[in-house]
Amino acid sequence: MSEPVTIKVDGKEFEVRPGELLIKAAEDHGTYIPRFCWHNRMKPVGMCRMCLVEVDTGRGPMMVTACTNEVVDGMTVDTQNEAVQKAQEAVLEFLLANHPLDCPVCDKGGECPLQDQAMAYGPGESRFVEIKRTFEKPIPISELVLLDRERCILCARCTRFSEEISGDPLIEFQDRGNKTEVNTFPDHPFSSYFSGNTVQICPVGALTAKPYRFRARPWDLHMVESSSFFDTAHPRLSIHVSQNEILRLVGIDSEPVNHSWLSDKDRFGFEHVRSENRLDTPLVRRGGELEPVSWSEALDMVGNRLGLIVEESGGDSIAVIGGASGTNEDAYALSRFARTVLQTNNVDATMGEGPSAHFLAASIDRGLIADVDDADTVLVWGPDLKETHPTLYLRVRRAAQELGVNLVVIHPRVTGLDDRATATLRYRPGGGHELLSDLSDGSHEQVTSLISGKVVAIVGQASLADDPGLAESVAAFVREKAGTPRIIPLANRANIYGALDMGLAPDLLPGRVAYGPEAAPEPWGEIPAKRGLDTPGMLDALSEEKIRAVLLVGADPVGNSHEPELASDALDLAEYVVSIDTFLNDSNHYADVILPAAGFSEKDGTITNLEGRVQKVNKIIPAPGQGRPDWSILDDLSTVMGKSMGLGSPETIAKEVAAVAPAYQGISWDLLEWDARDGAVVPLDGEQPLTHIPVRAKGTKAPSAELLLHQGRVMYDDGVRLRNCHYLSRLAPGPVAHIHPDEAKRLGAREGVAVRVVTSKGEGEFAARIDEGTPEGVVFVPLHQPGAARLGTDPVVRVTVVT
Amino acid sequence: MSMWSQETQNRAKEIISRYPEKRSAVMPLLYLAMAEEGHLTDEGMEEVADWVDLTPAQVRSVASFYTMYKRERTGQYLVSCCTSISCMLLGGDDVLHAIEDESGVPHGETDAEGLLSVEHVECIGACGGAVAVQVNYELIEGVTPEKARELVRWLKKARPESVNTDEMQELFGGVKSFDWGIKEEDAAVGPYPAFQPLGTIKSAGDS
Ligand code: SF4
Ligand code: FES
Ligand code: FES
Repeated sequence: MSEPVTIKVDGKEFEVRPGELLIKAAEDHGTYIPRFCWHNRMKPVGMCRMCLVEVDTGRGPMMVTACTNEVVDGMTVDTQNEAVQKAQEAVLEFLLANHPLDCPVCDKGGECPLQDQAMAYGPGESRFVEIKRTFEKPIPISELVLLDRERCILCARCTRFSEEISGDPLIEFQDRGNKTEVNTFPDHPFSSYFSGNTVQICPVGALTAKPYRFRARPWDLHMVESSSFFDTAHPRLSIHVSQNEILRLVGIDSEPVNHSWLSDKDRFGFEHVRSENRLDTPLVRRGGELEPVSWSEALDMVGNRLGLIVEESGGDSIAVIGGASGTNEDAYALSRFARTVLQTNNVDATMGEGPSAHFLAASIDRGLIADVDDADTVLVWGPDLKETHPTLYLRVRRAAQELGVNLVVIHPRVTGLDDRATATLRYRPGGGHELLSDLSDGSHEQVTSLISGKVVAIVGQASLADDPGLAESVAAFVREKAGTPRIIPLANRANIYGALDMGLAPDLLPGRVAYGPEAAPEPWGEIPAKRGLDTPGMLDALSEEKIRAVLLVGADPVGNSHEPELASDALDLAEYVVSIDTFLNDSNHYADVILPAAGFSEKDGTITNLEGRVQKVNKIIPAPGQGRPDWSILDDLSTVMGKSMGLGSPETIAKEVAAVAPAYQGISWDLLEWDARDGAVVPLDGEQPLTHIPVRAKGTKAPSAELLLHQGRVMYDDGVRLRNCHYLSRLAPGPVAHIHPDEAKRLGAREGVAVRVVTSKGEGEFAARIDEGTPEGVVFVPLHQPGAARLGTDPVVRVTVVT
Repeated sequence: MSMWSQETQNRAKEIISRYPEKRSAVMPLLYLAMAEEGHLTDEGMEEVADWVDLTPAQVRSVASFYTMYKRERTGQYLVSCCTSISCMLLGGDDVLHAIEDESGVPHGETDAEGLLSVEHVECIGACGGAVAVQVNYELIEGVTPEKARELVRWLKKARPESVNTDEMQELFGGVKSFDWGIKEEDAAVGPYPAFQPLGTIKSAGDS
């Protein structure tokens, strides 16, 4: 670290880091220099000239832009003398030469940097009498974003974001001089997964979001900080509410997590919250029909019935599936309820997907998101981060693009990061383990030689055809190669890491402790000794009629399953099914009782992200109708069942967690609300109560069929929350099959024609997408698409054109 | 799949190979796209984007910044008359009007047949030889309104396959800013600048 330098701003002297931009250094020390184009998370361009200040470095005073000039020792800066004021007035007069004065009907009015700075630094009057330029207004530049070009002040924030940050430069300046405008190419919309960020950073009202346009004035909004439940990195955001309705979400600049950026799914996915399909009253199935009942009636029925089954057949006859969609407090309540009230270890929040619970919760060398910034090499061998983990995607992209980090991407087809990768490797769906042993045998030297120094390995299930143990084997391989790498194991599902940390897996207890009757937290009393089943195990046991009752908590085994008949047959055999959820789902068809739950923004609590960071989430609106948080439903059930947990409130649960869950010691709501606003990574002292050392598994080979099926998650799918979002629900690609152009030629398929895809477990019609990113011999089908047939996990596939 | 002729594709490959980064080739490739179709179309810009790994929006951003990339149908002969200061002082506007009048084509437009396009331009670096006119970027200096009319009539009648600066200077020009003493052999096949890698040149040796 080089020596700090001393600069003097408006007569005040302070020390700053050399090389820092003047505008940032001044701001950090309390002097705000006005700006439009400069943004803390992007490179400076010096487009708008609003940041002009007078600087003297010994050669006499000079007017310079504070956003493009670095501090040097002895610099004196004047940010408000007469010359500077005159310059600021001139800049604003020019910016307003064309900017319309339509603030009263502009969404940005009241929170507009141009409005504010024109007030603070403008001349008050303009000498321009010419007619302002006008454009057709507004034009949609994507499904979500509208552009009013006459308001644009050409700061290039949006265009730089799309090129520098999200890597999809589909908007650019067009034309020049007085005619310059931001626009897309005709028929190439700004269909970026991150388009909403441009609305947030536009310093005027030129870019607006369809879901928010004309909905509110900023001074009418209530706000609270929270985190997104979509991306498992839990990007930080602020919820803006009017009259008990969420109107928008705005990204918060959290240094360790999301740098203020949100994917459009995280930003606009709130629409499901007020969907008319939300469950708002307890429902009981009578004569095949679901009928509304009161809470007390529902709780009595459920409690008595479950109690009876436990008494008759023991806790082993009960299955608890889910629990990853709520807060840590909800998950803890469920974990305790299952073990102590239901007397069962059949609990599983992973739904049988992805890497093992031990690996996800307790992997040794767990990495942080920020670790990618100063890594030598980042290895991504898992899902396409752009589709599944957008926050991590932006961070890795930046590391490779701006920070000179080597990036190795291994995936069955092209991913969103490939254009920035130092090296990429492809493998046949299901052939991951084969490639891995080739790599350890020394093939692809050029690629494996990059895996040294400070390595961050981001691992997860890349393809449904992959053995779920592959991610762990990759981690083991990287540890052999690079000593102590940082490992980020990936999973999907809202608060899955928090749920596992609360013990929602057959082999875990709260606080990252391996399951064992003697390890039970003190207030729990005695817990069952028998090892529990995971989700596939529970479904099998149901088919064998060894399990009588199922408790689903935000879980839809049928909707989730790649072989839905197996799951629905299993649930059909269950004697009693209870579901706690926010929406009706496919599995609820088999439910005897459905209890309405509170969801995002409707409850207080904490959640834990993929790096183990605990953040506070907050309630700002009530749940619709009689919806309640999971913990309180479970608490009441325990009372009905005569084994009251007496949980009290989410905050008392949080205190109990801190007391009994070793990894969560020292975590309190106070800490997260005051001293650790960016969240705190558990365990606070770094001492892992359980460390899981990744194990290298044998694994299978890719089948030798000519054509193999690669199925992977994409950003937009038919998940129940997305399905209930007005705008986002239209963005799912639907049933499509990506085929390489040469493969398509062989099959006689053209873009858009219907092809029949047949596997051993399913078949259906898909629209062909001709795609150079999918290798020959592979068909890529995005998972969980509305209207798409389920194809099972076996990659052997036949594809024919439907005639 | 490229919509370009094999020859144009070969030229594109050759041009791209000259640069360490593909995107650097965007400007010459825009000329190729123009030469291929007569003017720059959306499809042409998309094709360029494919070749140089940019998005079509980025390519269009470049194309729309420069006036020499013609996004509208342009005639076989592009007649550009300078009306910047030096030329304006020596009657550039009169020369422009003469061209418009004789050809029947207002500046900024192209005749119905697709033979002539007329435009006025900013300084083309021949101030010493004002008034300066270009046909397909081949320069003629010291042009008067009468000579400009003759030039238009000649283009319409003779319809040369290519135009050459020296030849036109002889026929329609006046005082030159500077005489290099070297004969310019190459001729332009319009309406693009004569440039060998683009194939928009006719050399003396070509038949
Ligand atoms: S649209 Fe907004 S962000 Fe984009 S250049 Fe114009 S003013 Fe800047
Ligand atoms: S903020 Fe410095 S020029 Fe725009
Ligand atoms: S002003 Fe006409 S060439 Fe310079």
